[in-house]
Amino acid sequence: MKYILLMSGTRAGVDTYHAWSAEDIEAHMAVLQGIQKELTKTGEFVATQGLAEPAEAKVVRGEKNGLPVTDGIFPESKEFLLGYWIVDVATPERAYALAGRISAAPGPAGAPTNMPIEVRQFATYQPTSPSTDVEKCNVGSD
Amino acid sequence: MKYILMMTGKKSDFEGYAKWSKQDLQANVAFMRAFSKELKDSGAFVSTEGLGWPSEAKLVRAGKNGEPVTDGVFPESKEFLAGYWIIDVDSPEQAYKIAARASQAPGLGGKPANMPIEVRPVLGSHADLGL
Repeated sequence: MKYILLMSGTRAGVDTYHAWSAEDIEAHMAVLQGIQKELTKTGEFVATQGLAEPAEAKVVRGEKNGLPVTDGIFPESKEFLLGYWIVDVATPERAYALAGRISAAPGPAGAPTNMPIEVRQFATYQPTSPSTDVEKCNVGSD
Repeated sequence: MKYILMMTGKKSDFEGYAKWSKQDLQANVAFMRAFSKELKDSGAFVSTEGLGWPSEAKLVRAGKNGEPVTDGVFPESKEFLAGYWIIDVDSPEQAYKIAARASQAPGLGGKPANMPIEVRPVLGSHADLGL
């Protein structure tokens, strides 16, 4: 079963990272890289991706003529995706355990960040969704 | 340059989507498939995924002993990720153009859904964070 572990934060939350010391950032990254290495070994690793800062985010809609209309204004409360991990695990409990470990990665002065990690299954692996048509909707490879 | 195009919606949006007629859903799915194929043919395609329903979402934190603490209660206003595309293009303008096409995917009655698509550059490695 494939799960995506999503790490998100508000703009204010992201700004606090900039105050982390180089040492704190290094310790944080070392733990995340260790988790990735371990998942690669167990065969549970699928992908991970970090996103650029919220300041670079745009919302795009199509105009009547199909041209893009971009907007970069978001409410303060907006939760921006900061990064994600995709894992292929045997049980949801395993996905939650991994999310817990990511949440426990060290922050300033080595204390766990305790960041909430949203865990979601992929649509392709969800036989209980209301419509099979919906399920197929976003499947990348036919 | 790699960009991620994200489609999000509140729980109520997902519930609305589940009520679409079969015909509307089929038109939407046909568009999405053609859209993915076009991205692949043009070489811009990196990956795409659709996520499960918000009702199955859990929020996880580590408890004091390191065990996961799960919670499935979200505010009504919470925007759930519905799916995404990662594309590799030469300019942000190209990414916005592709996002506009995704936004125009047919919705109810075959009319363009005009969904907002969030566009963000993705980081190549931790080095991009200046770490």
